[in-house]
Amino acid sequence: MKTKFSGILTLLLAFVVQLSFAQDKTISGTVLDDTGLPLPGTTVLVKGTSNGTSTDFDGNYSIQANTGDVLVYSFVGYSSKEVTVGGSNTINVTLVEDAEALEEVVVTALGIKKEQRQLAYGTSQVKAAELTRAREANITNSLQGKVTGVQITNSGGNLGGSSKVIIRGVSSLSGRNNPLWIVDGVMINDSQTVSGDANRITGNRDFANGASVINPDDVESINVLKGAAATALYGSRASAGAIVVTTKRGKEGAGPTVSINSSFRFDNLFRTPDYQQEYAGGTAGRFNAGWGADWGPRIAGQTEENLAITGATGPLTAVKDNGVGHYFQTGQTAINNFAISDGSEKYDYRLSVTNLDQQGVLPGAELDRITVSLNSGVRHSEKLESRFNVQYTKTKTRGTGASGANDPNIFSLSSFSSTVDPRNYIPWKDASGNQINKLSDNQGIESNNPYWLRYENSNNRDDDRVFGNFEITYKPWKDFAFTGRVGADMLDDRRLIENSKGTVGRLQGDFVSDEIRRFEVTSDFIANYNKNLSEDLNLNVVVGSQYNQRIFQRQTITGVNLLIPELFSPSNAAQVIAERDYAESRVIGLYGSAELDYKNFLTLTVTGRNDWSSTLPKDNNNYFYPSVGAAFVFTDAFNLESNWLSFGKLRASWAQVGNDTAPYQLDFRFLPEVTADGQYGLDLNFPMNGALAYRATTTIPPEGLRPEQQTSYEVGLEMKFFQGRLGFDFSYFNTRNEDQILNVPIPESTGFGFNTQNVGRVDNKGFEIALDAIPVQAGDFTWRTNINWSKVEQEVVSLTSGVERITIASGFSSVQVIAEPGKPFQLSAIPYLKDEATGRPIIDPSTGRRQAGAVQSFGSVLPDWTAGWVNNFSYKGFNLSATIDAKWGGVMKSSTVEDLQQQGLVTETLRNREGSFIDTAGVLDNGDGTFRENDVPVLNAEDFWANSLDGNGGNVSEPYIFDASFVKFRELAISYTFNNRQLGEGFLQGLTVGIEGRNLALLYSKVPHIDPEASLFGSGADGFGVERASVPSTRSVGFNVRLTF
Amino acid sequence: MKKIYSIIILSAVFTLSSIYSCSDNLDINTDPLAATSADPNAVLPFVFGEYTARKVSELGTRICDVSQYISNTYNSPNRGAVSGTLSGNTWGVWYVGMLGNLSLVKADAAAAGSSSNNVNGIATALMANTFLELTALWEDVPFTEALDGVNFPQPKFDDQETVLNGVVDLCDEAMALIDSHNTDGEFQITPASDMYYGGDIAKWRIFANSLKLRALMMLRSGGANVDAKINETLDQPLMTSNDQTAYVNYVGTPGAQNAMLTIVTAFFGPDNESQNVFGPGDPIDELLSGSGDPRWDLWVARNDLDAPGNDIFPDPETSVLSNNIIRADLPDVLMSPDEIDLYKAELALAGFAKAGSADTNYRNGVRNSIKWWGQDIPGVLATVSDADIDAYVNGLAAPTANDIYNEQFLAAFNRPILAWNHVRRNKIPVLDPPPATSISTILKRFTYPPDEIGNNPNTPANKQTDVPMWFENL
Repeated sequence: MKTKFSGILTLLLAFVVQLSFAQDKTISGTVLDDTGLPLPGTTVLVKGTSNGTSTDFDGNYSIQANTGDVLVYSFVGYSSKEVTVGGSNTINVTLVEDAEALEEVVVTALGIKKEQRQLAYGTSQVKAAELTRAREANITNSLQGKVTGVQITNSGGNLGGSSKVIIRGVSSLSGRNNPLWIVDGVMINDSQTVSGDANRITGNRDFANGASVINPDDVESINVLKGAAATALYGSRASAGAIVVTTKRGKEGAGPTVSINSSFRFDNLFRTPDYQQEYAGGTAGRFNAGWGADWGPRIAGQTEENLAITGATGPLTAVKDNGVGHYFQTGQTAINNFAISDGSEKYDYRLSVTNLDQQGVLPGAELDRITVSLNSGVRHSEKLESRFNVQYTKTKTRGTGASGANDPNIFSLSSFSSTVDPRNYIPWKDASGNQINKLSDNQGIESNNPYWLRYENSNNRDDDRVFGNFEITYKPWKDFAFTGRVGADMLDDRRLIENSKGTVGRLQGDFVSDEIRRFEVTSDFIANYNKNLSEDLNLNVVVGSQYNQRIFQRQTITGVNLLIPELFSPSNAAQVIAERDYAESRVIGLYGSAELDYKNFLTLTVTGRNDWSSTLPKDNNNYFYPSVGAAFVFTDAFNLESNWLSFGKLRASWAQVGNDTAPYQLDFRFLPEVTADGQYGLDLNFPMNGALAYRATTTIPPEGLRPEQQTSYEVGLEMKFFQGRLGFDFSYFNTRNEDQILNVPIPESTGFGFNTQNVGRVDNKGFEIALDAIPVQAGDFTWRTNINWSKVEQEVVSLTSGVERITIASGFSSVQVIAEPGKPFQLSAIPYLKDEATGRPIIDPSTGRRQAGAVQSFGSVLPDWTAGWVNNFSYKGFNLSATIDAKWGGVMKSSTVEDLQQQGLVTETLRNREGSFIDTAGVLDNGDGTFRENDVPVLNAEDFWANSLDGNGGNVSEPYIFDASFVKFRELAISYTFNNRQLGEGFLQGLTVGIEGRNLALLYSKVPHIDPEASLFGSGADGFGVERASVPSTRSVGFNVRLTF
Repeated sequence: MKKIYSIIILSAVFTLSSIYSCSDNLDINTDPLAATSADPNAVLPFVFGEYTARKVSELGTRICDVSQYISNTYNSPNRGAVSGTLSGNTWGVWYVGMLGNLSLVKADAAAAGSSSNNVNGIATALMANTFLELTALWEDVPFTEALDGVNFPQPKFDDQETVLNGVVDLCDEAMALIDSHNTDGEFQITPASDMYYGGDIAKWRIFANSLKLRALMMLRSGGANVDAKINETLDQPLMTSNDQTAYVNYVGTPGAQNAMLTIVTAFFGPDNESQNVFGPGDPIDELLSGSGDPRWDLWVARNDLDAPGNDIFPDPETSVLSNNIIRADLPDVLMSPDEIDLYKAELALAGFAKAGSADTNYRNGVRNSIKWWGQDIPGVLATVSDADIDAYVNGLAAPTANDIYNEQFLAAFNRPILAWNHVRRNKIPVLDPPPATSISTILKRFTYPPDEIGNNPNTPANKQTDVPMWFENL
């Protein structure tokens, strides 16, 4: 009460003072930040008085003052500046961001800058320095461990591979779990176009997700908007969160600045399986180099015939680590960025050129990427300004690794044998171009020379990407601004995947030429009204409309049976299959928000948006979704600031977001068909015997489809103590995603495979805690630490009546990621047949082998919690930064481990290698409901690992399902920045040298032999928890030089 | 104030223009690369193509060693474990690819009335065959509630007798439709779209009646009293000559070649004889080696050597299936007259007077089979003269029941489902399970695919794969 009273008193006093002491002149000007952007809401105060004002939307202000007065400009997150009023009536000021600031300014929906203190929802900001400290080819990976509530999964060590981002858990059953990426206010496409079959099993090549082209060197900041309230204005596509990227601009006053940032890194295998070197390739204890498993004899230097690859007779010897060190090469990454920027009152620009040149650990894997970007702005007049922003990226990807199955190009960690020295595979072709030095078994069955696969079969992608936007802002009157913005994103993606003639499994040669185009255009028209209704009350109203159009086009030509080797033209193929695909969707949105701020400590925000979507039924194609939120800085409101308490804020928000569906889901369609699928890819083609073919879609179209609806609320508490040296940000969130539009699998005995319906409800609730601290600040030494931790509990609350499970993604051998009511997404697979009382496997009395049981769930594929710990130590010019991250809980199935063990390649398979033995873990069924200890031996270790653990041919996955928890030493960077004194008066203004490392160590994991992060599915699917023949991930170390002129 | 008005007007104009343009702008949700209706002449080829592609490449290459006309193959369920892939692919194609599309053709034809009875009859006969094969693979399958997702979203499973009786009814329906087809303004079946008979509706009627007999033979084996129905079929035209054979022709070019060869050329090398992929099964060797049967030389190369053996691939020291058989243009046969002749022989021995003479039918069956392989089969490479056929056929002794069963097995060579049906129905030839099997007999059934189990709670629990089916009457 007392505080409120004193507030009113101050108000009155200010009014009186203003009336009483009329000033002698009007000072006006603009306040900009150090990137040249206007700073609306900056407080301008005549020092020593209560005479003050704040800047408008464009950073403009005017104030009455006397010559000799000192004006104080202050804005949270920026160092205050004092200027003495002189002869001029114009004072323009640039405020510099204060690194020690207690609060930050963030870019929110539609590119609007706001003080963090006014936000009613949780966001996480990552600054440029953190992204470029140890740069990644895919910017997504740079966020690992640094952002609360964000889980990032990359699919392995493939150059140009994809990474999947999940914000606050997965809530969509239909795979719409990827956040929306926004660059400088405009949505860009982050899609991943799958190569091979749609379920990523056959012919899988994990090519990068769309956002991977964003160049870390050009990024000023990344702001992760997590809740629906944060993203409500972006519309339905941001229902899984939004990642808002702001690119760098030229800065006013600094003069032309040239910067060069160069890194060079070396990459090696992150983890090598514990291969055994005691037993040779073969089966049943007999040597057979090309058998594909190491169940041969003990290696004792004995003479054997038909040695691996050479076919020679000679002593049998083992090769260290099965030769992986010889096969996988040291990868190299060179990243060079050159940027020039400048700015003035009238203009600013920044031009940047980046070259990324990578050689992968996989032989023949290369990635070359050139990125050119321009960000320029012109202030035409006081009322009109415009900005143009464009990025062009050209990427050449060669030798992408194949993963999954049913593809001769797969050569994974389980393809190495103790008695096969990969060096003998070289050379891989003869003078006539035929494949040589193949591995053949004792029956003469040949396997491909892996170097042939790597160097003769192309796995190429060439893509050109242009995205950018043009923005014009017109401020006809004080407090009003109109902004028009048009953004476009174009992708031209050409892929050539081919098997040269002579490739075992594709002896006749074939190729797939895939040309993909994506085009997205978004236009916004935004009107903004920002008014100080009174000294304490500020109103900001935004209304706008948006038009978004997305087009996907694809033409695929498959050529089979080549006449002339190495000529991958349709006219050189005996069988040519041409396919086209096209999809277009449009959304029109109208939106508005009103934000009322009282005394800069209480902010109320209301938003609403209505979307009209082309993909929904015409009579039900529009949907409205509102959000409300409040932020309350109680330390200011109640004057609680003290020596120990610096800042405290409570926030709460509620939001609803609607969502549409994919195009063309409403009609019953007959699709022209070019292939009749056969097993092993032995397809037939239409026209067949002169007849064209059409088939009905396998999905029953929906009736009365409604938009999806997501409802969420969030509460948060932010506190800072001891002048900001210690702080935390806590959030609790709860999301309910219902009426999801899903192709529900139905029994195929209905004649259809799916039925499109509004079904199900998935709830997510969780906590996020971010802890920031400066534990030590002594002289020039500073230690900053940040711990972020988040936990999401997902529950599939309901599906639809009669449907007990829905397959989210399918793996192999009945391994599936499924949704079942009452549980989070589950890994479903075949277990052993067990004695239910003890859980021990029931042994087949005739063979001594374990047996297969009925499919069951093995637990959640989603982690219980994720965490990151970032430490930064600085002393004078030295800086050391280290990131550790952890993912805890969840399960994964590794087919690579399955293969390594079934094939006797790894050390645990050395147990009981000689002779038969009894599987003592098992029991025998007495037939009367009781069980006895197993006394039936298996034939030998080969029988145990290859047959018994597989459940006697029953595709049991149980022994290869692991706790997917891991802790990784993700990033380390040490740098030294030379100071001005050291650099002297020369043209060099800044110099930083450093060493950097990524994926340095696996600190904890229960998954043997492989990187527990590996995933079969790329960013485009929700196939968490399944790994198969992934390209092994890498560890990188290198150095970095940054120069500024 | 003026400013406020301007803003309101500006915003209103913009908003209204956006909304007005909405309806046109958003009216784009029609797939430009798809049709909303399809002519049966465009859908039937898909059914034929999908069926032959999957049957030859999946069943042909994966279960050919279950009935042991081929010695060994890849990813076979012959040792007892049926993979979800094998089971799921077959189930999905038979129910969705074939029956789903056929039921649309049938519905379309029924709506068009009697002028489309011809195409309705074809679709009905093909549906009958599809259900027969489904029950032959899984025993109990959805039939009475199948293909009606609106009324039966989770179809119940019918027992084998019900399904087979339903097949007989479908054959009757097909024949009735064909009999009542209306030539006035009749739907024109494009010859290319009817891959069995080029639109020859009379041949379809013979096919439907012959298929009905195939179903009745399984019902009879199971113990159902179907004598009257069998006599009905014997009164109606059945297949008698090879030009009535229902088969899909392969021209032999890539994308239009028999998958038995494609698997050899894609994964191994130029041909079967050099790559030793498919070898004759023991029963083929036992029945034909030294018998003088011309099919021995037509089917088996290096046939002076021993067969590879049960569950063993051929090698240069064994016999191997001949390149006469494993060739790009080998047709995929669904039904041929030798099968019918041999049913009639079997029925005659069992006392069906309308079936005629067992001896004559038996010799006709053997003759038709040899003539098919040595003369009539498209793309025939090695031929057998009429004189040689007559000499062999006339020299055959009067048949016992087992002789007829053995000939039924031989006549079903390279027909994976029919051959499996015969050995389960007749128990002749007697087949040894493969050496490393996990079940007590040869494989008797497929297990239900994981997707149907997951989506249809009416799916029965899987039985052990050596549990005989109802029609085996064990």
